[in-house]
Amino acid sequence: MTDTPKYGSSGADQCHKAAPTVGEITDFEILEIALRELAIERGLFTADDHRRFTEFAESIGPAGGSRLVAKIWTDPAFKARAMEDPVKACLEIGIDWSKPTGFGTPSDYTHLTILENTPTLHHVITCTLCSCYPRPLLGMSPEWYRTTNYRRRLPRWPRQVLAEFGLILPPEVEVRVEDSNQKCRFMVLPVRPEGTENWTEEQLAEIVTRDCMIGVALPRPGKTADVHPVHKARRPVQSSHHEGAAR
Amino acid sequence: MSQKSEPDLGRVALLETMRGQGKEWEVLAPCYGVTNPNPPWKTSLTAMCDCLDASGALATLDRRRAEDELAEVVYSDVPAPESQLLALVHTMLNRGLVAEGELASRMRTVRSRLEAV
Amino acid sequence: MKSKTIEKSQNNIGVLEEHPLGVQPRFKVGDRVQLRDMPYFFYTRSQMWARGVVGTIAALTYSDLVPEDEAFNVDGRVEQYYIVRFRQKDVWADYPFENDTIQTESPERWLEPIS
Repeated sequence: MTDTPKYGSSGADQCHKAAPTVGEITDFEILEIALRELAIERGLFTADDHRRFTEFAESIGPAGGSRLVAKIWTDPAFKARAMEDPVKACLEIGIDWSKPTGFGTPSDYTHLTILENTPTLHHVITCTLCSCYPRPLLGMSPEWYRTTNYRRRLPRWPRQVLAEFGLILPPEVEVRVEDSNQKCRFMVLPVRPEGTENWTEEQLAEIVTRDCMIGVALPRPGKTADVHPVHKARRPVQSSHHEGAAR
Repeated sequence: MSQKSEPDLGRVALLETMRGQGKEWEVLAPCYGVTNPNPPWKTSLTAMCDCLDASGALATLDRRRAEDELAEVVYSDVPAPESQLLALVHTMLNRGLVAEGELASRMRTVRSRLEAV
Repeated sequence: MKSKTIEKSQNNIGVLEEHPLGVQPRFKVGDRVQLRDMPYFFYTRSQMWARGVVGTIAALTYSDLVPEDEAFNVDGRVEQYYIVRFRQKDVWADYPFENDTIQTESPERWLEPIS
């Protein structure tokens, strides 16, 4: 083995050269398999259902949401259709909320709701109860969205939480928090930014990142990825993954 | 039908053995130069949670409440998504949906099966 | 119906309003309502922050069964759901920003009309 960098962490004494996959089977991987096999054997769910939902989980990502926003920005007739019936509009761009059961998943349902921003109105979404999220359109929720840190603080101190994401809004702008506690699933329709006149749908979709559709970021020319500033916690826990809301 | 039950916040021996080994994805993946932000079992775990809710075995609201509490009190030093997996196992053990002994035994079987390949 | 679309679009909410046959919504967009502070014995989807607060109907969404985990809701009736909007200043003591709001979804039975 050639010189390899050491990563500071108990247990990870030696690291390996870059590889396409992690070259070991962890207890976590084993645990997931073992739990699933036992659950199926006990009749808690069927292997078929699990396969269907795994395929669903693997098929989703935020690209659908980006395309939906870009099309709404460029096509006024599509926008009118989307605001009237968002689920039907998703079908026009190839996103089917009825999958994989024919009537949606037990978490996403089929009531997509679009929240339209204006220059004086900014929406931001949470689910204080359990972190519900519009998965067919945006994929799996980011870990920070699932934390009690985000879910408890956003309704109470939305501007402080947004500031931790680097988003500061003037006091005259209405910050509207959406707590998705029932079957509606929400997506923010951001304001189309200046400097994007004559852009194609593809170019526009590139700057509509997942964070823009949750409401913790604004789309901007040149910004094609979600990057979070890291804030030191005032009372840090031992591990590194509890710093601030924005990770 | 959901039933109100506080998660048992006592430690589970089987799950305690997995802590602090440096095998969490956020630690392990950089060592191998793997850039995928999630371990390969995450989608399967997600599917399992959906299935448990759909079948009525474990409602999402109940599971998430238990997970919130377990993540804060018992598994605060475990990153996601491992914390989600451990919290799920912990909750299912608490509710008698699976037993610790059979889980440990099945883990041994699964490991020998995968390592024999 | 056109007028409903305009109402919703003025509220910046795009959602398909669904009314299965027989469900007569009690409230319309703009109505003032108060979220009931009902005791509950099981987990509920009515958040503590919203209890007893007066808000405004922002949109009608779908009709559905009220969640089974509600202590008093075992009659299996299908009813209208709403998006209800509150001023943050009405929800939290000393909330500093005048214009900010918060919305959540509610079944009809949790809502008391306020004149």
